[in-house]
Order: sequence, then C-alpha cells, then structure tokens
Amino acid sequence: MSSSSYSSSPCAACKFLRRKCMPDCIFAPYFPPEEPQKFANVHKIFGASNVSKLLNEVPTFQREDAVNSLAYEAEARLKDPVYGCVGAISVLQRQVITLQRELDATNANLFRYAYNEMPPLRPPPPPPPPAAGQSSGFYYPYQWNDPSDEDNERSSGGNM
Amino acid sequence: MTLKGGATSACAACKYQRRKCIPECLLAPYFPADQTKVFQNAHKLFGVSNIVKILRSLDPSQHAEAMRSIKYQANVRDRFPVYGCLGVIRQLYYQIQMLEEEMHTVLTQLEMYRQHHHHQQQQQQHQHQHQISSMADDVISQLELGMAPSNNALPLFNQVTHQPYTMQNTYSSSDIDSPPKDNVENNSLWIQHLFFDTNNHGTSNNDSPIAIQSQLLVPNSEPLADTQHQVVQDYDEIHPFFDSIDDRQSYIDTKDAEDSSSSEESLKETTQLMVGNVGSKDLKSAAACFSLTSVN
Repeated sequence: MSSSSYSSSPCAACKFLRRKCMPDCIFAPYFPPEEPQKFANVHKIFGASNVSKLLNEVPTFQREDAVNSLAYEAEARLKDPVYGCVGAISVLQRQVITLQRELDATNANLFRYAYNEMPPLRPPPPPPPPAAGQSSGFYYPYQWNDPSDEDNERSSGGNM
Repeated sequence: MTLKGGATSACAACKYQRRKCIPECLLAPYFPADQTKVFQNAHKLFGVSNIVKILRSLDPSQHAEAMRSIKYQANVRDRFPVYGCLGVIRQLYYQIQMLEEEMHTVLTQLEMYRQHHHHQQQQQQHQHQHQISSMADDVISQLELGMAPSNNALPLFNQVTHQPYTMQNTYSSSDIDSPPKDNVENNSLWIQHLFFDTNNHGTSNNDSPIAIQSQLLVPNSEPLADTQHQVVQDYDEIHPFFDSIDDRQSYIDTKDAEDSSSSEESLKETTQLMVGNVGSKDLKSAAACFSLTSVN
C-alpha cells in the first residue's frame, strides 16, 4: 500500500471533531493545528456549525478577522460566564464618560481662566456610583434598536 | 364559546423550535414571543443548547444578567458580522486615547496660562513700584527746578527735563490710564467670541477645542510684549538726560561709548549752552571736553 504523496496535517477543528480535514475545509486556514485551544474555546461557546454558517456569510478576505473576534469573545465568555466580553465594554464606556466629564470641566476652567484671569478651579470630584435602582450598575453602550427589546432593556436598568 | 384558561403563549425559543413551551422553560423569561429577532440573533451566534448550557452553569440569580449580555453580544454580532463586540471595544479604546490626548493638551494650555498670569502679575508689581519711584524722582526734580539760582539756567533745565517729564507722562498714560489689562481684556473678548462661535458651529467635534486652544495663545502674547517693550523704550530714553545734567564727567565717559557723529553734534550743542550759562571753571572743563573730543 503506497503512502499518499502529500498529506497535510488536519486543522485544529477537524482534529477536535475527529474528522477528515478536506482540502476545502472552511476552518483550515483559520484554525491551524498548532492552536488547538482556539477552536476548542470557539466550539464550546458558539458551536462549530454556527461558526461555519457565520464564516460562510462573510467575504473570504474578512474571515480571518471574524474568526479572531469569535475566538476573543469565546475566551472572554469562558473567563466570565455572566458578562463575557460585554463586561470590558461596560468598563471602557464608563471610562469614556468619566474622561469626557473631566475634559468638559477642564475646558470650562480654561475658558474661565482665559477670560476672567481667575485662578483655575480644582478638577471636579469623580462621578457618584450608579443609582441603587439599577440591577447591576452594568452599562450597555450600544443600544439595540429593536423596539420589542426596548422595554426589556429599560426594565433591567440599561442606560443609553 | 369556550374560553381558554391559563394558556400562555410559547416563548420565542419554543416557537422557533416548534415545541411546547413548558413552565420550567429556561429561556421563556428572556425571549418573549414578540422578540423573535432577538432570539434569532442569539440562536444564530450561540445556539439554544449552548445558551442553556451557559445558564445551567450559573447560579439562578445570575441568569438575568447573563442573558442580558448574551442578547447584547448577539445583537452586536448581527449588526457587525465581522468584528462583533471586538469592534466596539476597539472603538472605545480609540475614543479613550483621543480623550486622554485632548486632556493632556488642555492641561498643558492651562499650565501655560497659569505661568503667564503669574509672570504678568509679577511684572505689574515691578512696573507699579518703578512708576511710584520715578514719579517721586520727578517730583523731587521739579522741586529742584523751583530752587534754581538764575533764570538763564532754567531754559536748559527746562529744556532737558521737559522731555523726560513728557515721556514720563507718556509712560504714565500708557500704563496707568490704559494699562496692559485693557489689551488683555480685548484679547479675552476675542477669545470669548471665538469660543462661542466655535461652540455654535458644533460641540461634538473633538477638533474644535484643540483649534480654540491653538488660537488662544497667539493674540495674548504679542500685544502684551509690545506694551512692555514700549515701556522699556521710554525708560531708556529718559536715562541719558539725567546723566548729562547731574554729572558732566559721567557724560564725558558715556560719550566715548556712543557713536561719534551723533555724540559730537549733541556735545557741540551742549557745550555752546554751557559756555553761555556757566562760570569760568565750567568753561575750562568744557574746553577739556572739547579737547578730548578733538583727540578722539
């Protein structure tokens, strides 16, 4: 029995799924066998079939970015099963709001100083913590414009 | 007609899967029947089984928050199929970076204003003190004029002292009546006008505050510098006349440091006046001046 002239190593996805890695395997370019954990995470959170459908809907030149973003989200969800990567978004959005407030106050101070020749005021105190009425103090920066979902967002304390 | 009692509509998840929605359905509280699009997005990204798996790994008190984040993540992925939440995170990082840079710029501007204000205050104090001292000197010199022995001496002194007095007036009028503050106020009004105009055009633009700040510095520095330079010039012109009156020797010494042509003419005028108005001793010294001039 002659051995195959050329046999490429199966991709991480086909290795994990224990199937033959075909030449047109959609996962092969983005899940190399050297990174088995990457596919394992993605499969655990999203599932191989969902990832395959998502990649088929995306142009070829953007598939690598899509896979990398899915891998990032999967890893974040494994580390934090409750909030996943949305936790990072919430933290960053609060930081943006705080910085914006500080900048506005500093600009106002600069204007006062330039116009009135008065000594500059101290920077404003940090903003108070979220109101007690909110369920978790979680901030969702991006509002999903689905009207049916607005009530659910409002009731759970989402702030937009 | 019989009424259905106690029948609740199936949740979006069970409706999609075409199965009976049991009361213990985990997804029913989070996917009401009217939120089909939201469920479709979540199902497309995670799948029902994976969502249930996540919920079962968590405490029931955490289910609501977990479902909220899952729905949010799915909706973002639906809107941004390639980058999803990662795109939002990158955008926020960029926004933070821009805000920090802008804050740094504003703080730098503030520090420069602070230093300028402090420097300006110090200069005003110095100018005020000098003004008081020179006004006092002027009063003293006027008193001395009033006690001069001959009327012929008066024109010389009057001629010589009148100019510094005029300059003194100019100096005082430029500083007391119209102090540099007026220039600062005019500049401040211009700054205010610019700031309001930029605000009227739009406050959301991050470039506008930076544009304002870059223009704030320019008009403030030059007019103030011009005023101060004018003051210094006046003071320089006053000083030599005092030297010529008080100390002829010092005048001779200073004469060597000046240009020859202008100094010779002024020397001739001075010596002519001095010959006409002073005694013999003075004549001899004046001749000495003349001889020194000829040597040079």
